[in-house]
Amino acid sequence: MNPSWQLFLVLIISLEISFTHRLIANLVLIVIAAIILILQRLHWRTYLRLLFLPAIPAAALAVTIGCFSPGHDWWFAAVLASRVYAYVFLGATVTVTTTPLKLARSLEQNAHLSAKYAYGVLAAVNLTPRTISAIKTIRASARMRGIELHFYSPTLYFKAILQALRWSDQLVLAMESHGFVENQSRTVAEPILVSVSDWLIVVGAIICLQVILIAFP
Amino acid sequence: MQSKRGFHLRDIIFLALIGILFGVIYYGGDFIYNALTVALTPLGYGPMANDLTMGLWCMAGPLAGFLLKRPGAAFIGEFLGASGEMFLGGQWGAANLISGFVQGIATELGFTFTAYRIYNKFTVVVETLTTTLVTFGWDWFRNGYDHFKPSTIIILLIVRLLSVFLFSGVLVKLISNLVNRTHLIKN
Repeated sequence: MNPSWQLFLVLIISLEISFTHRLIANLVLIVIAAIILILQRLHWRTYLRLLFLPAIPAAALAVTIGCFSPGHDWWFAAVLASRVYAYVFLGATVTVTTTPLKLARSLEQNAHLSAKYAYGVLAAVNLTPRTISAIKTIRASARMRGIELHFYSPTLYFKAILQALRWSDQLVLAMESHGFVENQSRTVAEPILVSVSDWLIVVGAIICLQVILIAFP
Repeated sequence: MQSKRGFHLRDIIFLALIGILFGVIYYGGDFIYNALTVALTPLGYGPMANDLTMGLWCMAGPLAGFLLKRPGAAFIGEFLGASGEMFLGGQWGAANLISGFVQGIATELGFTFTAYRIYNKFTVVVETLTTTLVTFGWDWFRNGYDHFKPSTIIILLIVRLLSVFLFSGVLVKLISNLVNRTHLIKN
């Protein structure tokens, strides 16, 4: 499926279930998303993470509403818990079926997002492994001088920002020297098309969701 | 999204990088969040973990506002940070984008109300208030806060206010003071 269309569909569904309190719709969404995820044949650890991490906030919400709130409304507790799973599973269908590069290209070509946003963010995302090691370096070098930098130490963020400034300068230079010019029309190396099936899936899914939301509790 | 002066490629990369760097720093935040949730649930305050850590999640936005000092910076900083974190492997996936959008508007409003002219302690207070209220309003729907006991709701609101004030307010201001002293960012 087209990455942009898929992302928009997931966002629309997530927004809609945030404002409607329907258990069946949430469960249907969880099952569909789970089938999509299973078909991707991911590593078993990813499945475990997807299964157990949402359990904590889901259980917290359910227990608070079921045991500690005036109405002891277990039905609403189930709605909220299932909604947490729906969010996470739907969100995961986007991140596991597409890569940042594909999504950036699709957003530029299909969603007409300005190229500087698409590729600017992509450039930053591609630096993720280096940002992880940069933070480790900052912490280690402080520790060598007997200073422990915590997540609430301004110095840690300050040094990270200096790093971000330097990298953004270097990345801009690199991109411009490869011929990237802001706000100029660009040719496309790998066209990403929106097919009829994308439209059908999006429209069909949204219609089905409305029907389920109205018909079932 | 475009302001009068617009954002250039350099700003966009910088804001997205800040979001990701911060995401890495409080990657442990997910762990703290989960541990707090487990600890607080038996007391009936499980959702408080969300309010306790809210200030951390919202840091990128106000920081971008204080550093770049122009309309849209806070929103774009927060939203790009969330987009970056989407692929960082946090537990929320694409749902990050919606939270990022809401938090972006929440933090941006603080700078809108001070007309993008004042960047002092007063801005910290205004921005803390808008961030707290808007994100709380969002959780009202998303996390079913309307079903909680009134006393619980008030405690959660106060906890969130303190968290946002300490992290997205005071800590962000301290960081931006450090950065501004270097004169590396020209406004």
